[in-house]
Amino acid sequence: MQHLMTTLVLQVAVIVVAARVFGLIFSRYLKQSRVLGELVAGMVIGPYALGSLNLPLMGQSLFPKIEAVMPVSPELYGLAVIASIVLLFLAGLETDLPTFLRYSLMGTVVGIGGVICSFFLGSSAAVLFLPGVESFMHPTALFLGTLSTATSVGITARILSEKRKMSSPEGVTILAGAVLDDVLGIVLLAVVVGISKLGAAGDSVEWGRIGLIALKAFGFWIVCTVLGILFAKKISKGLKWFKSNDAIAGVSLGMALLLAGLAEMAGLAMIIGAYVMGLSLSQTDLAHELRERLHGIYQFLVPIFFCVMGMMVNFAAMKGVLMFGLIFTALAIIGKIIGCGLPAWLLGFNLRGAFRVGAGMLPRGEVTLIVAGIGLSEGAIGQDMFGVAIMTLLIASVIAPPVLIKSFEGGTGLRSRMDVKAEEAGCHIELNFPSVHITSFIANRIREAFRNEEFYVHEVNIEAKIYQIRKEDISITLIQRPEGIELNTSQENSHLASLIVMEEILELKDLLQGIERLESPEGLCTELASGLFCEAFPRSTDDKKEEPGE
Amino acid sequence: MKKKLKKLLGPKNIFLELEAQTKSGIIEEMIERLADNGLIEDRLGALKAVVEREEKMSTGMNNGVAIPHGKTDCVSKLIVAVALKTCGIDFGSTDGMPSTIFIMTISPASRSGPHIQFLAEVSKVLRDSASRERLLAAKNTNDIITVFS
Repeated sequence: MQHLMTTLVLQVAVIVVAARVFGLIFSRYLKQSRVLGELVAGMVIGPYALGSLNLPLMGQSLFPKIEAVMPVSPELYGLAVIASIVLLFLAGLETDLPTFLRYSLMGTVVGIGGVICSFFLGSSAAVLFLPGVESFMHPTALFLGTLSTATSVGITARILSEKRKMSSPEGVTILAGAVLDDVLGIVLLAVVVGISKLGAAGDSVEWGRIGLIALKAFGFWIVCTVLGILFAKKISKGLKWFKSNDAIAGVSLGMALLLAGLAEMAGLAMIIGAYVMGLSLSQTDLAHELRERLHGIYQFLVPIFFCVMGMMVNFAAMKGVLMFGLIFTALAIIGKIIGCGLPAWLLGFNLRGAFRVGAGMLPRGEVTLIVAGIGLSEGAIGQDMFGVAIMTLLIASVIAPPVLIKSFEGGTGLRSRMDVKAEEAGCHIELNFPSVHITSFIANRIREAFRNEEFYVHEVNIEAKIYQIRKEDISITLIQRPEGIELNTSQENSHLASLIVMEEILELKDLLQGIERLESPEGLCTELASGLFCEAFPRSTDDKKEEPGE
Repeated sequence: MKKKLKKLLGPKNIFLELEAQTKSGIIEEMIERLADNGLIEDRLGALKAVVEREEKMSTGMNNGVAIPHGKTDCVSKLIVAVALKTCGIDFGSTDGMPSTIFIMTISPASRSGPHIQFLAEVSKVLRDSASRERLLAAKNTNDIITVFS
């Protein structure tokens, strides 16, 4: 036991450092997503590469090859599972549910189109090219279909922000479609896990039973989500009984783990329970606080998740399926370009615009990996197909940025002249401030002001500090840079953006004047500094008042 | 929001021709009239909020439109008023022109709601010169409501 724990601690130590170093190299020098770096870190240090080398001090390798379904130790995989629960709980917390339910028809149609087309092409690839997979209902076909559906919009959001296209018709459509993609992908996973469990039990898979499983999975998701939303205020009130934000965050995470376990017991995937818990709490006043409090654990655990997933890539097993991997990747890309591009074209974009929408939905991320991991642990896919999933994720995520940047060259993406005119007349507000702190103060105030106006503020990219601000058909993008802020919206909503920013700048002016009105800030600082580097700790003013009586 | 805009306006908060001749007089008169019509209970509190905001920066905008506003908890919901002074008055506007159309909002400080959004919707309507002309030519409250609907 002692030896087991020592090994685990050493493994986690190496994973944490390697994931960070590779993540940094990828984001800083290769200008790629940090997630890709973390995945590659896993491949490099994993049991199929450097991890298999014998270490003299340990008398064995750090990541020995395990001849089981999962090539990493159960302890390490357990840690990755907990990380995936945290990841999906936070993804649920960040989901803009009212927007998902209400937001533009275009985003919804594009999201659904992308999911259906990618699923069909992904599972078709399995049926056409993999021996032994004869039906679309085969667990391998189902998992390959599902893992090609999810979109990771973080990469796209960063590029759209750099190209100042977040509030363009293409940008808004991509972001709305991606929200729907996540939810659909997770519901699809619930159904696929149910069917594959049935298949694994040796039962013949009939359409009636498939329908029943789909109903059960969708039912669990919808019932839990509706109950969660209905009782969200009560849950939030109950959590506030703890009167400590740390305790509230801890108990919420506990509840997410509990619902994850219950989802698994109900025959669904754990992440569905975690996502539903996050989604339920996303509309409460605790959501922001929970995101802030859990950010630390997210930063620690999530790189471990991506790294462990990278460690499971068996290069030798992939040799035989390299060609299939390339075909599958090509189909996954085509699936998104056509699946999202065609509805976009039908709804008013021209071919250029439709291609931009499709290209924006290309990057794959955490949901793809989670689906692949579950598929591997369920025995629905082998190590070769797991490798194919990682290959797709890497290729799609690496080619998406240059394709997307290139696609935004040239003219408008809209067909109608009237729409083009409206698009060209977009409003762009850019303000620079003398320090990072002032920028941060103003950006916080602006976000709060929009929330007070009953807008939903959704953080699209944590690293690049990009926020989508939405209410009904109004969409505004706020980008917070160290030197200033940037707001993009349509000309129609420019008055609102200008008025809100103006009021908050006046608040800042008021604050600065308030500081100037302080009688003697220097005096206050001198008093505070007077006790420093002295033997006795500075006494409080109350103590000083008591002095005459002493 | 357009529906709400129409719903918020009525005879009690539309003042066709103000009497005051100064900027502070205009603000005071609008608040007095709102209070006389029973829309504001604490007139001093409301006046203080609008004047404090005005001291930070004049709300006189371009093309004769001014949007005096303030936030205070002496009102429990958004209070709005539309008023005209056809001969115009110096309101410290950004283009230096006299202000003729006054849109006032007083919103609760600690309650959320589409308060600035209301001002934004109004200014969206008034960026059109024809709408401003129709407003200034209004003979009764209905004419004003029609401009915003």
